[in-house]
Amino acid sequence: MTTIPLRYRVPWKKIAVYALAVVFALYLVLPFYWIVAMSFMPEVDANSVPPQWIPQHPTLENYTAFVDPTGAQAMVGSRAVRETPFALGNSLLVALLTAVLNLVLGVFAAYSFSRIRFRGSQVLLMVYLLTRMVPGIAIIIPYYLLMRELDLLDTYWALILSYTTFALPVTIWVLKDFFRAVPRELEDAAKVDRCGWFRMMWSVVLPVSAPGLVAAAVFAFMTAWNEFMFALFLTSTAASKTMPVIAANFATDINTQFTVMAASGVLAVLPPLVLVLIFQRLIVQGMAAGSVKG
Amino acid sequence: MTTSTVRQWSDNTRGYAMNAPALIAILLLVAYPIGYSFWVSLHRDNLAQPAARKLIGLDNYLSLVDDPAFLASLRVSALFVLVVLVVTVVLGLVLALVLNETFMGRGVLRSLVLLPWAMPGVVNGLMWRTVFDAKTGALNGVLTELGWIDSYQAWLASESGAFFFTAFAQVWNTLPFTVIILLAGLSTIPRELYDAATVDRAGVVQRFRQVTVPWLLHPLLIVLILETMNAFRAFDTIYVLTGGGPGDATTTVALLTVQRVLTYTDVGLGSAYAWVITLITLVISVAYVGLLYRRGSFEV
Repeated sequence: MTTIPLRYRVPWKKIAVYALAVVFALYLVLPFYWIVAMSFMPEVDANSVPPQWIPQHPTLENYTAFVDPTGAQAMVGSRAVRETPFALGNSLLVALLTAVLNLVLGVFAAYSFSRIRFRGSQVLLMVYLLTRMVPGIAIIIPYYLLMRELDLLDTYWALILSYTTFALPVTIWVLKDFFRAVPRELEDAAKVDRCGWFRMMWSVVLPVSAPGLVAAAVFAFMTAWNEFMFALFLTSTAASKTMPVIAANFATDINTQFTVMAASGVLAVLPPLVLVLIFQRLIVQGMAAGSVKG
Repeated sequence: MTTSTVRQWSDNTRGYAMNAPALIAILLLVAYPIGYSFWVSLHRDNLAQPAARKLIGLDNYLSLVDDPAFLASLRVSALFVLVVLVVTVVLGLVLALVLNETFMGRGVLRSLVLLPWAMPGVVNGLMWRTVFDAKTGALNGVLTELGWIDSYQAWLASESGAFFFTAFAQVWNTLPFTVIILLAGLSTIPRELYDAATVDRAGVVQRFRQVTVPWLLHPLLIVLILETMNAFRAFDTIYVLTGGGPGDATTTVALLTVQRVLTYTDVGLGSAYAWVITLITLVISVAYVGLLYRRGSFEV
């Protein structure tokens, strides 16, 4: 019999924590790993039974298909394949412009909540929050009719305008907290130097609250990049289709080559993923503070 | 605008002037459409037959009472919210408790938690489609190699299968939010409380019930409300994964509304559906804002 020291206890808790950590890590990573792996496989390998967990013949052909489709790819699901490069550009432009427009509109409102005492400011903050709660489906139909009337269907503007209003409440909520944290003395010093309000914002407040601006911009960018329902209604050609619409085009086409679809999915997730990895801490802070997702 | 004029303005004027751009955008692009939507919902209005457009009052709403497709979609939505909510909260709580411990690789796991959050709903649906696929899917591969199933299964072919696997896919996508909110809540619990409980010879379960749960109540409520809303309006993942099928097994209210409008171009009835969704969401939102208000997060 092995001797066990009298006071030795099996560290059940530690074992449980490590076991759960491993299980969760696999749960979080494996599905994503699967489409990444698939996107680097030739179609034959992706269809093999049992599956190839590690691509045996890694290839870039699923990615090059978007610029230079092979014969079969050009025929099967060709439209989505051809439109992918345009959709990437559209998505980037729409998301960037949404982020910029959000900051421009949000800075004024957020500053008012952080420095000015005015009647109804609490109600106004609540109005912004409630705006955030409005389900997209509630406004999509009239919004579609409106854009049809204004002849803005299938343009960037239809998307940018709607995404800006989705993201604006979060932008205001995030920015107001950061502005409030700017030391008052800095602003007073700027005033003593006879700086106008815009000068003061530009040279003092905004640089000091740069992390807040970045966080707000990232949230707005991701809102616009990930949005699907409005894009589905408002876009119809390569002129304005965004990546989620293209990805859905792949998914709803029965002839789709799974490997090319996987590649389009990976391309669509790359920008938000990179942003999240870079700005992890800011995002977690923002989410915890403003309860952002919705 | 010069400094002196700004200074002359009263704080009220300044406050509203600064909110004007955002307010105008929201009035034009949110408030006005919602009102317009109600107006449209009072009409028989199909884009395919513009001539037949007619004001019919509340008839669209009254027809909902015995609209089998609508009632079925409400049932699907309710069940979907329930399943997604329960699984998300249980998994999220366990994961948050794990992340609250110190162990090797905690930083890595914390980063991994954000992965599903970065995933657009459409890509999430597309990803799970390749995983659940009947002929080449990874799930079939794994289960076969483990010897748990004899032959590949068509997971999304049966009604209950499609429903639960869709809910599963949705959970993966919304889990990060729950984990982060709960983790933030956990990190505010003072260590001393656990130490005191340990001194009092409280076991793991007792400590969890007497210290963790009360402190976590508020974040849990926030998670419950926001995740309810999220699951209720879930669209992207379902649209790509099952398209509402097989039959109408995964046709939620949101999906049905979009079908009504995009496939049947029936904007009148579609708007009535949308308004029901809005009202349900409104009730949940009011509860949420009230909760924040009571907690004092609303100080200006």
